[in-house]
Amino acid sequence: MQAYGLTLGAHLLLWAFPLALTVLVVVESLLDNTWREPRK
Amino acid sequence: MTPLEPNVLATVAAVMVAYLGILLFIGWRAARRTHGGEDFHLAGRSLGAWAAGISSTASSESGWVTLGAVGMTFTYGISGLWYAPGCLLGYLVNLYVVAPRLRKISETQGSVTLTDVLTRRWGDPRNVLRVTATTIILVCMMGYVAAQLTAAGKAFSSSLGLEGRGGYVLGVVIGAAVIILVTSLGGFRAVAWTDLFQGLLVAAALIALPLYAISRLGGFGALIQGLGAIDPHLLSAGGDRVGPALWGFVIGQLGIGLGYPGMPHVITRYMATRNDREVQRMQLIAMMWGVVVFYGAGLVGLAGRVILPGLADGEQALMALALELVHPVLAGLLLAAVISAILSTVSSQLLVAASAVSYDVVEETLGGARDDRRSLILGRWTVAVVGLIGIGVALMEVRLVFWFVLFAWSGLGAAFAPLILLALSRRGVNRHGALAAMLTGVGVTVAWKLGRDAAESPEIFARVWWITLIAAVAILLVGHLTHAFENADRIGVVAAATITVLAWLLVQRWGLDSLYELVPAFFSAGFAAIVVSAVTGERD
Repeated sequence: MQAYGLTLGAHLLLWAFPLALTVLVVVESLLDNTWREPRK
Repeated sequence: MTPLEPNVLATVAAVMVAYLGILLFIGWRAARRTHGGEDFHLAGRSLGAWAAGISSTASSESGWVTLGAVGMTFTYGISGLWYAPGCLLGYLVNLYVVAPRLRKISETQGSVTLTDVLTRRWGDPRNVLRVTATTIILVCMMGYVAAQLTAAGKAFSSSLGLEGRGGYVLGVVIGAAVIILVTSLGGFRAVAWTDLFQGLLVAAALIALPLYAISRLGGFGALIQGLGAIDPHLLSAGGDRVGPALWGFVIGQLGIGLGYPGMPHVITRYMATRNDREVQRMQLIAMMWGVVVFYGAGLVGLAGRVILPGLADGEQALMALALELVHPVLAGLLLAAVISAILSTVSSQLLVAASAVSYDVVEETLGGARDDRRSLILGRWTVAVVGLIGIGVALMEVRLVFWFVLFAWSGLGAAFAPLILLALSRRGVNRHGALAAMLTGVGVTVAWKLGRDAAESPEIFARVWWITLIAAVAILLVGHLTHAFENADRIGVVAAATITVLAWLLVQRWGLDSLYELVPAFFSAGFAAIVVSAVTGERD
């Protein structure tokens, strides 16, 4: 039976993009909290 | 879908009744905390991060995410997922560029609606901007409300086992009655709280169902093998498209995100957020909701294609999978999630349409109901009247109104998104440029779509330049007779008409068929704002 796989573009679209975006947003939020902490 | 068995139907209907009861309870609690006009239209600027974040995203997605987005990947495979980066990039701009600035500017101005932000930003001595913006919002929102009520009516009638025309009418009336009651009693706060509840339900459904469906298939590898066996193109990011068709499709899908900053029912959530700290927390919450929901919907479509290859309509994949795979109680919850996605948008759009009438027209333009209590009563009655009109349009299935809906997202996005971004980030635009941008945004949206789909559009619209000419003359005439227009406004109207006709010629001659109309309309509107402001010379 033939084995199928995702193309490179499909890998990027299906999981690399959302993963990168999630990391970016979470890191931004953490940095923001760290930066804000001394002002509390 | 096949008709449900009686015991399944009874369970699903019981879950639906409980869900509607929760919405009414939330509306009643919100009503007890709503005491005046600013409370009703903007929840007294008191929203926390969760309510603001989830309600802004849930209200923007409508039934599209549980029906249309699922259908995209069901039909096109992985290449149907291009809407996800498009929408998420729109979320990024909205949450990180628009939200913090808009909250501050609206608090400083004391503005309550999107129209209010624009008119106070550039000044509007003769109400030209307010009347133009309100007209665009009302036309688009009323069409949207009616179309969503139709979708909700169909979903209710099928999940409650109501059959035929009578079942559809009852479905529309049940859904609309609950939403009108909740919105008119609790106003913005009720809409935001019910959106939060419904948005979380949608997210839970779009996490649980694809995970369960993929595990039933035997894992992610089995999903990929199943899709490849149906058609290897389903596993590629471009599908079977090549060359200009592929690039037009990708740019068009990414361009969906351009519309978000112009959606009044979305960005008013940012104006209502309590403080900057809540805005920052909201950014993370809303982005995560977006990732989960868009990719969850995509995976439901992919799994549905393998599990239910015979399903005729891919947009029904979520409901069909729910009924096929899980216990009736869970299926009821999943169907409630589908309806939640629709109703959370209806309530938000209903409130925006009512605010446009009661606040922008009656209170600000005509100078009525200046005290807070009268403003609240006026707002409540306007929601009820606008909602009843929406029910009437949905039940009579007025075709012209549904035709308008085809332009609603891109029309609103092109008319307001460039303006909001310019209002928040750039000097050098004035009120005449703002008028030109709104008219250009709507004009190019309509012209591009009609030029592209000439064969499918009503024959009267086959010559867009005629329609544009008549519309421009009518606008100039109304502006002249009401003494509202200055010369600079007339320049704006002529510029908008010229750009509209050029766009129509461009799409007809060059055949840029696959490019989504919002992309050219957005940039044309921004261009019109800057050029008309420069020509008319008055800077803010």
